[in-house]
Order: sequence, then structure tokens, then C-alpha cells
Amino acid sequence: MRRPALKPLPPRPSQYGIAPEFVKKRMAEYPEMTSLLLKELFPDTPDVIYPGEGGIAAVRKAAETALAKVDISMIKPGQSVNVLASHHGFTLLGGEPYAELLRVVRDVIAERTGTTEIRLRAGVGLRFRETEEYIKRYKLDEYYKGKARGMAPIDEGIAIQTEIGTLYGLKAVYDADWIIHVHNSDVREVHFHRQVDRAVKPFGMSYARIETRSTYHWNMGPRGANFTARAIFESEFVQSKFAFAAFLNMSPSGVVGVMAENDLYVLNDQMTKDGLKYYGKIMTLLGEIDECIVGLDFQCPVPYVFAAGVIYANFVGANTDLFDLDNDLPSYTWYTEAFYDKAGKPLIDEIAPVNPAIKMVVHNYAWGGYPNAFFSEHIPTVVVGREQADLMSSDPQNVLYMNYATIADNLDTAMHFAYKAGKTDKVIIFDGAMGGVNVSCSLADHLVAKAPGVSEKVDKILMPKWLKQRGIKR
Amino acid sequence: MKVVSVKPEIDAAKCIGCGICTKVCPSAAIKLVDRKAVVKEADCRGCGGCEQRCPVYAITMVKLEQPFTVQVDITDVSYDEIESICRNAKLNPEQIVCYCTTTRAEEVAAAIIKGAKSPEEISRATGIRMGCKVECIQPILRLLKAAGIEPVRPDGYQWYGLTPTVWDIPEDVKAKYGSRGFYFDEDIKLLDKVVNAKPERRNSDEKTCS
Repeated sequence: MRRPALKPLPPRPSQYGIAPEFVKKRMAEYPEMTSLLLKELFPDTPDVIYPGEGGIAAVRKAAETALAKVDISMIKPGQSVNVLASHHGFTLLGGEPYAELLRVVRDVIAERTGTTEIRLRAGVGLRFRETEEYIKRYKLDEYYKGKARGMAPIDEGIAIQTEIGTLYGLKAVYDADWIIHVHNSDVREVHFHRQVDRAVKPFGMSYARIETRSTYHWNMGPRGANFTARAIFESEFVQSKFAFAAFLNMSPSGVVGVMAENDLYVLNDQMTKDGLKYYGKIMTLLGEIDECIVGLDFQCPVPYVFAAGVIYANFVGANTDLFDLDNDLPSYTWYTEAFYDKAGKPLIDEIAPVNPAIKMVVHNYAWGGYPNAFFSEHIPTVVVGREQADLMSSDPQNVLYMNYATIADNLDTAMHFAYKAGKTDKVIIFDGAMGGVNVSCSLADHLVAKAPGVSEKVDKILMPKWLKQRGIKR
Repeated sequence: MKVVSVKPEIDAAKCIGCGICTKVCPSAAIKLVDRKAVVKEADCRGCGGCEQRCPVYAITMVKLEQPFTVQVDITDVSYDEIESICRNAKLNPEQIVCYCTTTRAEEVAAAIIKGAKSPEEISRATGIRMGCKVECIQPILRLLKAAGIEPVRPDGYQWYGLTPTVWDIPEDVKAKYGSRGFYFDEDIKLLDKVVNAKPERRNSDEKTCS
């Protein structure tokens, strides 16, 4: 007897997605869908504090405990502090755990230093008002006494001298005596960062100007790119302001705990190991899927919708080992996308095709605000509802998305088409379900059968290789 | 190539004349007139950056009744010259340099050959930088430099300057961080291969029988 599908979060009002009332049905509602828990697939999946019986109070307690051991004596009364946040944390488990961590950080600074000049500065990806929406939603502006604001990469910048030359940060990040880096360990964009310096990445992204982000995506190569953030973080300027970091420690099942350190690299090494372990198995398992229909059904742009903690963009590249740095290029990353010629052929032989297991994509609910056209160009895609198609076509980043996708009136007709055209009954739903993954019963059987072999392969073969490639001891 | 389908509408009653929209516009299409933002529609490429950064929400993006396309024709320019600029910038002429508009390096090079001397002029001609407004500034600056042009910075935050590439990383820096998974030399080798790759067909998207 299979467990019912996990209920996804309700649609969230946002300027980057369709209004919630247009999301009329979720893919998890179909009777042929079931759920698999991570613990069921991999018994060594870590226990989590959230979701759990302790509720959000468990996150507060873990944060207070972790922050108690951090030295903040460098912050004097009257000095200014910028608490740095990023949009990504608010997409995890409904956003409340990350918002609570940001509240605790403020409480601890105020209590232990006496300063009142504590600002929240929240960076974004490519949706410039996204963190403004989160600040309002979680009432963080009130919590930070009117000193909370979003930042965008086109805002005023500041030059930072690094070991490799001049890079550029956002002025609003560094206009305080001290900065505190509050983030999370969810692996998310493995196709970009390859689990190299994951803890440092925001210094080259959400805290950075367009010049720096463009350096990452164009100037440095698919693996060398990860040095961009380290170059900034290592600079004398940033080191003179950095106080400490506090991270939600994530696994595909939820929040494992809270980590806080004065030395970001201690935290970086720990989360590199944890990330490879916690996410390595499920990502490798998803790479074992032989054929499937993909459902996109979550409140974020197409590549970031996630299942079992793995984002769709990584499933598009799951036919290769994204953690293996000997693989030059994932099937999807911006370097890869750039390297197709005008005829649609790869410029070099190293370009792997997108995951051939994906036979059809049903785009039931996903946002714009990120260049998504690569996905509809390379994988047959049916978009549910005219409103969603119109949203894409009027989004400056997605004018081409509907050139390649087709439209269905509703989810039922989209699924009917997908089953017929995809010629498979295996379905995986990227709907952000917490603690597990919603799949069709047929795919559940396949994953349960494959999981033990994948677990052994990761423990004995892949983990030692992945760690060695990153210069980290077991 | 960029299809321009929206334009900004400014609510003059809400506009406080802060000028932020003029400082972020990638095509420099907005000016302050009597302390109110005014859009020069002929130069606007509908990226929405102004709407996204206006602190008082005075700007709304509205659909154009007649969307239009901007694109630089590369066929009336010497392809040898295009190739020279692109490869000097360490880019393959056929590679994409803007994900939102799928603009290729060859089109930007052609725009430069035809007289564009700044990122703003290149954006107006090709539509590049008119999607996310973030990621493609370095290829543009690299192509301008490769053509021997040093663009003049506009009076805003549109862009600050060129940044290092993987080819610029000093050997001592590579040695210092080489064990941490950055794979600098391997990526140089990979990117060099892309730069020098020769597509089988050129100047045609048509499928033909061999």
C-alpha cells in the first residue's frame, strides 16, 4: 500500500508568477501519485529539527545555541552591522525557518553588543523585488525596526581589489562597520557551483554587482567560476568587515540544524561534506530514472522548482555526475547553453545532451524571472493555461519560452497529452514537497529498487572521489 | 535579436525625481526633465529595469500595441572582421552571449563594426542586456576591448568596468588555491577549445540534405 502524495505548499502571490487563483489543480492530487520519504529510500538520511514536533521554536533554539559559541566582541555599541541575506533561503520549507534565523541573529547582536544600528540587506537572483516580497511577508522590516531592504545587482556598486584584479560588490552590502553572512547549505544550483565553495558563493552573486556575476558566468569557466566569490571574500576590504556567518544546515528532508562560525572556511568544509553526503545519494538516484514525465508545480522559476531537495535544473543534468569535477560541463549550465551554435549543434564534443530520461514536461505552475527558454527548447513542454503562457511571453527574460512550448487548457488535458506523447506512466513532480518526493506509483517502484545500490555506490566510490577533488579529508 | 513587447509608463504624480531609473537603464533611455523621469521610447528596449528599481513604484510596464524586433544584420559585414574581434575577445562568433535574447557574439561584433561604441549603443542595436540585465555585461566589454574601443562610462550604475578572466589568473594564485576544486587550467583548455571551434555550417539556420 503506497502512501498518499505529500501536499505541496499553496501557490504564493508574487509579481513573478500567475495569481494563485489561476492554479486550479496540483499534480499531487492525481490518484496515481504517491510519495516516497527520503528516510525510506536512504535510512542514513539525517534526522531533522524542522519540520518536526518542535515547530519553528526548534530552529530558534538551534540558532541560539550555535550563535552562543561565536565571537562577536568585535562589534561595539554604536557600530553599524549589515545582516546579509539572500532570496534562496526564503524558498526553503515555506521560508519561515530562514526568516526565524534572521530574527535570532538580530536578537543576539542587539543583546550581546548593545548596538541598535542593525540592518537587514537581502540580495536577489534575477527577480529584483523578490526579497522585498519576503521582507513584507515575514514582517522583517518591523523586526529590524524599519531597517530592512532588498538589493539588486544593478544597484550602486563598489570596487573591490582582489588577488586577481578588480571586482565589484553592492555598495549597500558593505556600507556598515561589520557584515554578517546569513545563508543556508541547500545545494540548489550544483550545475553552477559544483559544490565548490558553496558557503562563499553569495559574495560573488547575491551580494555582488552585475560585473562580478557576469565574471562568474562568462569569464572564468564552469569550474574556475567558483573562485570569483573566494577572490572577493579573501580581499582585505571584505575581511576587514566580516564578523561571522550563520547558516541553516539543510538536507533534502529539512533543517538538520544551524551552523555558525567566525571562520567561514570551517563552515564551508563542513557543509561541502554534508552536502555531498545528504544530496549526493538522492541526486545519483534520480540519475537512475530511465524515463519519465516531469511536473513543474512550485512557486519559483522553472529551473528552481524542486523535488526531494533537488532542483529541476539538476535533474536536466542528472544523466551526468554533477559533483564529479572531471566532467567539464553539465548538460545544463549557462556555459553549456552558450556553447550551442546557430544550427543548435554543440560547438564542442564535451557538451552532453540534456537528460534523455525526460520525455515530456508539464509546466503546471512555475514563475518567470529567469531565462527559462533553454528548457522548453530542448525538452517537449506543455504549459497549463493561457495566463501562464502570457506571463512568460511578456517577461523580458522569457520572450522566447513559448516559441517552443505548447499550451493546454487545463492540467487534465496536459497530463493526457503527456502520457500519450511521452509514452511512459512514470511521473516525477517538482512541487517542493517537504521530506520526500511525489512520484507516480510506477516510478516509486523503480526508485525503491535502485536506492540500495545507489547508496552503496555513493558511500564506497563516489564520496571519496568527490572529496578528493575538493581537497577535503573524509 | 530581441523582441520588444513592453514599455514603461511613468506616473508623473508618483515620480519623486530621484533619478534611479536613469542610472540603471541599460540603454540610457531615461532622463529627468523638470525633476520627472521621461522615457525616450525610441531608445527603450523594454527590459523593465526601471520598473523593478523605482523606489516609489511609479513605473508600470505595459504591453506594446505593436511589438518590434531589434537585430543587427551580420550579412553586410566582413565575417573575417567579425571573427577577428570575437576570437580576440576569446569568444566563439557563434556562441550565445546573452541567454535571455540568445544574442550571439557575431551580432555584437557586427554592431561594433557598424559603429556602436558603448554597451548602451550595442544594447539599443541588438537588444542584448534587455532581459535579466545582469549577466552579459562582460562579453560586451570584452568585445569592445577586442575591437580597440574604450567605452565611456555613463553617469549612472549601468556598468563599472572590465573584470579578470580565467586567462588572467596569476600562476601563484593558481598554485595557492589549486587543490580546492577550481580547475583553472582545465577550464582554460575547455574555453580555448570553444573559442577555436568551427561550426559545420555558417550564416544559415536552414536544414539541408548532404
